[in-house]
Formats: sequence, C-alpha cells, structure tokens
Amino acid sequence: MNTTSHQTSSFKEYFVNLYRGISTTVIGMWITFRYVWAVKPVSIEYPEVREVLPERARMRLFNDVQNCISCTQCAMACPVDCIYIASEKRPEGEEIKKTTNGQPIRLKLTQFTIDIALCCYCGLCTVVCPTECLTHSHDYEFSQYTIDGMKYDYLAPDVIAWRDRIVKS
Amino acid sequence: MQSKWDIGEPEKPTINSQTEQLKSELLTLNMGPQHPATHGVLRLEIWTDSEIVVHAIPHLGYLHRCMEKHAENLDYRGVIPFVDRLDYLAAMNMEWTYASAVEKMLGTEVPRRAELLRILTCELNRIASHLMAFGTYALDLGAFTPFLYAFEEREKLLRLFEEVSGARLLYNYIWIGGVWNDWNDDQLQRVAAFCDVMEQEAKKYDDLVSYNKIFVERTTNVGVFSLQDCLDYGASGPVLRGSGMKWDLRKNKPYSLYSEFDFDVPVATEEVKKVGGQVGDCWSRYIVRMREVVESIKIIRQVLEKLEPGPVMGKVPKIIKLPKGEVYVRQECPRGELAFHLVSEGEKKPYRLKVKSPCFTHVSMLPRVAPGQMIADFVASVGSIDIVLGEVDR
Repeated sequence: MNTTSHQTSSFKEYFVNLYRGISTTVIGMWITFRYVWAVKPVSIEYPEVREVLPERARMRLFNDVQNCISCTQCAMACPVDCIYIASEKRPEGEEIKKTTNGQPIRLKLTQFTIDIALCCYCGLCTVVCPTECLTHSHDYEFSQYTIDGMKYDYLAPDVIAWRDRIVKS
Repeated sequence: MQSKWDIGEPEKPTINSQTEQLKSELLTLNMGPQHPATHGVLRLEIWTDSEIVVHAIPHLGYLHRCMEKHAENLDYRGVIPFVDRLDYLAAMNMEWTYASAVEKMLGTEVPRRAELLRILTCELNRIASHLMAFGTYALDLGAFTPFLYAFEEREKLLRLFEEVSGARLLYNYIWIGGVWNDWNDDQLQRVAAFCDVMEQEAKKYDDLVSYNKIFVERTTNVGVFSLQDCLDYGASGPVLRGSGMKWDLRKNKPYSLYSEFDFDVPVATEEVKKVGGQVGDCWSRYIVRMREVVESIKIIRQVLEKLEPGPVMGKVPKIIKLPKGEVYVRQECPRGELAFHLVSEGEKKPYRLKVKSPCFTHVSMLPRVAPGQMIADFVASVGSIDIVLGEVDR
C-alpha cells in the first residue's frame, strides 16, 4: 500500500520526490498561467451571445398542418408514441386541397398534438413524413411551469402562427 | 437461510492491526446515489473501519429504464434512439454495434463510404468519451482545470456531431444499412484540423496531469486489478489493457474495415513502471485511455485518406423483418466490449435484445479492490474504471 512508502524512502529519495513534486507542479501551473494572455476565451456568455445552430439541429418539433395529409406514419415511427393524430372524412362535395408537393389532402385533420415532454428528439418521424411538413425547428427555449403546457396542439391558431418564422419556403 | 446472492462476511481489516484488539464497529457509509464521484446514480454501500474501506457493495438499478424490454415492443429502427441512451458518452459506438447486429441477420451490404464514416464517427466519439473520462477523473482527484481543457476539445467534437447528425449527445446517426447524413468537405477538413490540435493537446494533458507528482502519487499502486482477476471477471477495454493484456477487438478480431488500418494497441506495462507504479493500478488504466486517444487520431487520419465519394445508405427494406434466428455481435467501445444478443422470431420486432455491457463487469469488480483502501483511494478506483451508469442499469 502507498501509505507506508514514506517510511522506507531514504534521505536522497526524499529530495528527489520533493524536486519532482515542485517541477511537475510548476509545469502544470505554467500551462494554466498561459491562459491568462496567450489563449483566446472559448466560452460564450449565453443569454446575451447565442450560438447559431447548425442546419440539421433537432429541436422542438413543428408540424405545418396545411401540408399534413394525416397519414399517421410519424405516429407509427415514433418510438415513444408521443404524437396523437385524429382525422375524419371530408363531407361530400368539399374541395380537396393539395399540399405544396402536389399530394391531395383527402382526410380532414381534426387533431395533431405532440407531447414534447415525451419526445426524445430522435428525428425518426421527420424522416418518414411524405410531405415533409413535420420538421424539427430551431426553438430550444420552451420551459413551462406545468407539464401540460408541453402538449402542443398544432391546429391552435397561436401555434400555426409560428409557421411564418419556421417554414422558409 | 443462505441466499446464493449473499457475498458473505466482509474480510477483516488488515492495515489497522493494532486497533484490531479494541472493540470496534464498522461504519456503514452510503456513497451515492447523489455523489459527484460515482459518475451518475450508483450507490456504493461502504463498510469502513475509521478511514479504511473494509467492504464495498455496489447497488445498481437507479437508472434502470427497461431498455431491453422496451426494445421488444419497437420496430428495429425505433430501437436505435434507445440504444443511444445506453452509453450516452459514446452513443455512436452503441448504435454501430446494434446496427451491425441487425445487418448481420438481414444480410445487408453497407456501402464502403458509410462504413468508413462509421469508423470516423466512432473514433471521434471514442476521443470525446476518453476526454470526458480524463476530465472527470482529474475532477475526482481534486483538480478542476483539466476538466475545462478536456471540455474545450470535446465541445469541438460535439459541434461536429451536431452539424452532421443534428444532436449533440444522442445522435441516432448510424442507421441500419448505413449512416443518416453524409459529411461534407468542410466538416472533414475540420476533423483533420482537430486531429492536429488534439495531438498537441494530448501532450499538454501529459504535462498537466499524467506525470504530475501529486496525480502520480494518488493513482499509482491504488486499486490494482491483477490480470487473473480481470480474466476471471471478464473485464475488457482499458481495464483489461491496463492490467497488461494486449486485447482489442479491433485488432484481434477485426470487424468492419478495421483490418485495413494501421494502429497499435496501447498497454501500460512499460510506462507505469517508470513512474513507480505496478501494472493494473489506476494510473495504468488512465494512461491507456490517453494513449488510445493518440491511436484513434491515427485511425481518423487514415480514414480521411481513404474516403471516396459514394452512397452512404445501403438497400434496406422499408419494413425490416428479420429471419428467424439469433446473432451475437460484439465490438470494442471506449469502455470495453459491448455486445448485443439479438433473437428474432421472424417478426417486425426483436424477440429478445440482450445487452452485455462492459461497465457492469467493471462495477462488479469494485468489491474486489475495495478492502484495505482509504476512502479517497476508493474514489480514485471508482473513477479509473470510467463507468457510465446508463450502460450498467440499461
């Protein structure tokens, strides 16, 4: 054990250890001391300065409901089942709209809710989406006081209003 | 009644032989679940005689998330986000092992570029993981600044991973049949630049920590795992290599394209004797990790030379159904050998997914080294095996 080593060390070893202790500490301290002037600071002062997120960054999900065809593929791909979709048949004679990439919207979407508190941000739902309406936005500051506040109804007018900010085309 | 899990009476303390005649009781001390030195939510029940540990019992299960059971109810692609959460510091390695298990049963051909990119990301992730191990180990022993230096470099890697996969820690990047996104030239150049910087940094860490007299005194001859113990328990990775066995799956049983690469397997047998330690102590496990960073840089440089344009995703059916059968795939992860035993009944979901995690083995080795150590030395022993509790509890 290490605890008994000092009893056996000789007079010479004592000074060798002392020298090594001081010299290696000075080397280490010198590396740290160089940071006073020679190295640029790398930390970002967060709330004032913000990093630009990369293009593919996966943050809060956003569904552009105008393009959603209620195919429920995202809900099936989701490993934690946090997407709730409900749809109904359109009444007879109502005009069938088309999505931006030309797919007809046959079903009427009545509910599209994502429990973001459950979401694991894996991105599997965005990959299977045929109309690319479900995307990861770059919003990352959305803390809430209650967990119910994390359930986003994407048919609500205030959530639809995010579209102008999030969808580029 | 004697339970088969009962590990018996603790060994008698050996160091305080004079005080042994006195009537004394052992003090039970709970280290964790909320303790900075246990790297997560591990509870170590320590029986101490004054400051000397007599017996240590790790209690697991604080981070148990039923990952294996969950996997039985998910399709094969949906398991990948769960596999990420095993070893969250080296998620790429976890994904790759799982993906290769599925590919092996499916018989998928992975394109060459995808395979090289997998090696690239996994080696980068290995560096990031070892940087974390280096930083937190110094932090355990009371040095704060190395942690910040390590995180400065790690941050560059996380930024690269975020750009290429979209997430900083739980990537979901390596998919069955290939990888999700391709790396562009700018990112690859930054990887090359990072390699140059990291080589310099590795030397700096040696000056700052590895050969520092205080650090050497704290870690040499502490927590010695003998080679026989390592083999008996089934240890792997830096713990096994720290004990002097040159065993690395990338070299001994090459999987993927690792047979094309030229790299060494660092073992610490020579170096540790120079600083006055013995093979298998905390310092040798630590230095194996630091040398592995340099070897990973070598591999990354060779990958960058070999990369050619091409597809990054192989042909995989839209709904994956594996044939009936089972497969056992193991790979070398930063913490040791990770293995998946995948059983399929010919359905869309796995019938059983068993994870063999290296950290679990290493945690169960802790009671072996604990008797006779000081509490502070025991902290050094726990830190040196570099556990991630997500992998232990699954």
